[in-house]
Amino acid sequence: MKRFKSMMIGALTAVLALTAVGCSSSEQEQQVLNIYSWADNFDPEVIKDFEQKYNVKVNYDIYGSNEEMLAKIQAGASGYDLIQPSDYMVATMIQLGLLEELNKENIPNMKNIVSTFKTPPFDKENKYSLVYTWGITGIAYNKKYVKEAPTSWSDLWNEEYKGRVILLNDPREVMGMALIKNGYSNSTTNKEELEKSFADLKKMLPGVMAFDTDNIKQKMIAEEAWIGTVWSGDAAIINGQNPDVEYVIPKEGATIWADTLAIPKGAKHKDLAEKFINYLMDPEVSVKNYESIGYSNPNEQAYSLHSEEYRSNKMIFLDKADIDRAEWLVDVGDTLQEYDRYWTEMKSGR
Amino acid sequence: MKTWRRHTLTGYSWLMLVFLYLPISILMLYSFNDSRINATWSGFTWKWYVSLFDNRQVMQALMNSLSIGVISSVLATVLGTAASLAIKHYSLRWRTIVNGLIYLPIVIPEIMMGLALLVLFSQAHIELGKWTLIMAHVTFSMPYVMVIISGRLADMGKELEEAAQDLGATPWGTLRHVTLPLIMPGIIAGFLMSFTLSLDDFIISFFVAGPNSTTLPLYIYGLVKRGVSPEVNALSTLLIVSTVLLVIIAELFRRKDSKNGQIHF
Amino acid sequence: MLNKKPVKLLAVPALLWLGLLFVLPMLLIALLSFFKRGTYGQVVYEFTLNNYIRIWDPLYGQIFGDTLVVAILTTLLSIVCGYPLAYYISRLEKSSQQIWLLLVMIPFWINFLVRSYAWVIILRSQGVVNTILQSLGLITEPLPLLYNSGSVLLGMVYTLLPFMVLPIYVSLEQMDRRKLEAAYDLGATPWKAFWHVTLPMTKTGVVTGSILVFVSSIGMFVVPDVMGGAKSALIGNVIQNQFLSARDWPFGSALSIVLMLLSMLLILLYFRAVKAGEAKEGAA
Repeated sequence: MKRFKSMMIGALTAVLALTAVGCSSSEQEQQVLNIYSWADNFDPEVIKDFEQKYNVKVNYDIYGSNEEMLAKIQAGASGYDLIQPSDYMVATMIQLGLLEELNKENIPNMKNIVSTFKTPPFDKENKYSLVYTWGITGIAYNKKYVKEAPTSWSDLWNEEYKGRVILLNDPREVMGMALIKNGYSNSTTNKEELEKSFADLKKMLPGVMAFDTDNIKQKMIAEEAWIGTVWSGDAAIINGQNPDVEYVIPKEGATIWADTLAIPKGAKHKDLAEKFINYLMDPEVSVKNYESIGYSNPNEQAYSLHSEEYRSNKMIFLDKADIDRAEWLVDVGDTLQEYDRYWTEMKSGR
Repeated sequence: MKTWRRHTLTGYSWLMLVFLYLPISILMLYSFNDSRINATWSGFTWKWYVSLFDNRQVMQALMNSLSIGVISSVLATVLGTAASLAIKHYSLRWRTIVNGLIYLPIVIPEIMMGLALLVLFSQAHIELGKWTLIMAHVTFSMPYVMVIISGRLADMGKELEEAAQDLGATPWGTLRHVTLPLIMPGIIAGFLMSFTLSLDDFIISFFVAGPNSTTLPLYIYGLVKRGVSPEVNALSTLLIVSTVLLVIIAELFRRKDSKNGQIHF
Repeated sequence: MLNKKPVKLLAVPALLWLGLLFVLPMLLIALLSFFKRGTYGQVVYEFTLNNYIRIWDPLYGQIFGDTLVVAILTTLLSIVCGYPLAYYISRLEKSSQQIWLLLVMIPFWINFLVRSYAWVIILRSQGVVNTILQSLGLITEPLPLLYNSGSVLLGMVYTLLPFMVLPIYVSLEQMDRRKLEAAYDLGATPWKAFWHVTLPMTKTGVVTGSILVFVSSIGMFVVPDVMGGAKSALIGNVIQNQFLSARDWPFGSALSIVLMLLSMLLILLYFRAVKAGEAKEGAA
């Protein structure tokens, strides 16, 4: 008994000392930039270079979905200086007054961004946000099992691939796909259009192997799934590991998405965050950064600096025609409840 | 007990152990996999172990997890044990009420608790960080400690305690020298449980963590977006191997010690 | 009789802690269930019962039902897997007991997601099991071992086993062996002795374990996603979705409260049943 108690007390003091040391050692006079973002969204070396160049410390924390980030920022005690909301979330956060206006004088490199992203529908003048990574949701398929290259979303309904179809685990993406297939907008608020597309989707359900967003790449690479809805950037990663997997944007059109750089209201180091945004938009830095993370670079000035291999990758540099056919997801307001009910019904099985 | 029956039981228990360690051994194997993505085997490598030690985020997350785990489970065990001892003496009605209160945190969906704590901390202007994480972890693991220890206490006969008091022991004396040693296995089980819960908690931690207090599950959850990295597998392997080694070393020391005639709890 | 008062006060710190850090914030968030969702997912502070009316949809009833079935099956399987293991551990020497307990717990120090994905590697169509069976020539086509209710159950039992083993062990460890010996002396067969002596004396452990496993499996949502391919949602998934995709906190809160009440009710019924069984046993 005595031993147990003294052991406990010993462990406790040791750990307390450790935490105290851990807290104090890292916070010297240096300025700290607190980033809240998706995992692996920056080249670690780019962050290191930035730290050295400006003698600052960068803290990089991770979230897994826009809504999780929103909850933290909404509560107001988050302490972050830079966040990366996706397109529709930017619109929502602007409406809720959760974003700071960007001071464009601090970000001269903003002019480098490709014109398509200078006027995105969710933030028409780049007042609050800047597109950082982007892609299009298309069809990835393994040509070993899918002999004929798909051209339309309806190929997912093909009986031959029964039990081998994979869909993103996201109500808006999946419903949006079915809506586009049926010739409607991916963000419709029309109840009939929703109902019809859902009925269509339900027919495909027995053929679905799984819904997955996070590990869809593994399932395609390991050839568990033969065909499915995949983001273009992910398709590039899959193709790098399993060259049999190809990627196509169906003729009906598709959903385009972007993750942005934005500053939450009340950020303590707003200037530093803007300095970092400007640094990321520097052509040479961006070349290094994007080739490391493997997503499309929206920086027009950097195109000529990229390696041939990166520039010729059709899953990273998508055709202009495909981009023009693609549609952004827009916040659907109260209709989101309908989307959610259909989603739940789809997953209630049987 | 007949020997064949004993053998069946032993065999079954080892089988369960194999079941528990089956996925663990797979991830150990994949920590030597050359491919960045856990999809196919593409050759043997040590490189994830090398890059692991360069990855200051992982190491920081590990330190955070361990310190939060130890502090919160010690606190939860102490508070929970004390409470269980007291509740035992309550009248039936109060006992029912308090027991209901203990089960609530276990029953409530984690995300609700996470949001509730987030709202509380932000309203009270408590800065999110290690201490909010510790407070949250104590809150969700203490009820488990109390459930386990109350079970132990309920099964325990009153004879020994009464005998001690008849012999003139004070209530505190009885508590320290009779009751506590008797429920020690329950306390250890409760401590193990709360440490495990703390080490593995993701949802509640997500909401109450602040900058610079990322725990291991938070870090890993973020990584999953890009596929569980082999570095995480390497880290898990190191964790398992070092704990098992520690257990073995401790056992060897104990054996040596007990030869000298000492007995520990 | 000695004064028990100071001992009773030992509960004060814990109860204060729970009151401040659990009851208070929980009441705040429970109130949300009576408010409305704003167009952008914010909470609008206007009283409504609409969230509770929405739950009255057969769709959610069915999901509650499915969740219950999965939770009950998980609990029963955990008893089958966990009881013998706990029994074995309690029969070992004191020092070996602690080692075995640690051995049982250590896998759970590895992150939950990492462990679940390891199961995926084992069970998927090109996975460890299928590869072995195919190379032995036992099967020609890979077996569909994942993304069905069987794999969800496997994942649940795997995740929740310690919740069963620990309480049962704690209960077995303090069992009075003399009663067992007495039963043997009276000529009881090992089975009879187990059934009539050991099992009743370790009931507390089984009850505690069952409740912990049952309640945890009712709120589970990661296992159905990873091991079940996210195809059939349990109530945990639906609640999660309200907060993290539909951004409907009031409805999520209402669902959580209904789930909580339901679980409490079931626990109460379970306790009653155990008590009734006890009374019957006593009478016999």
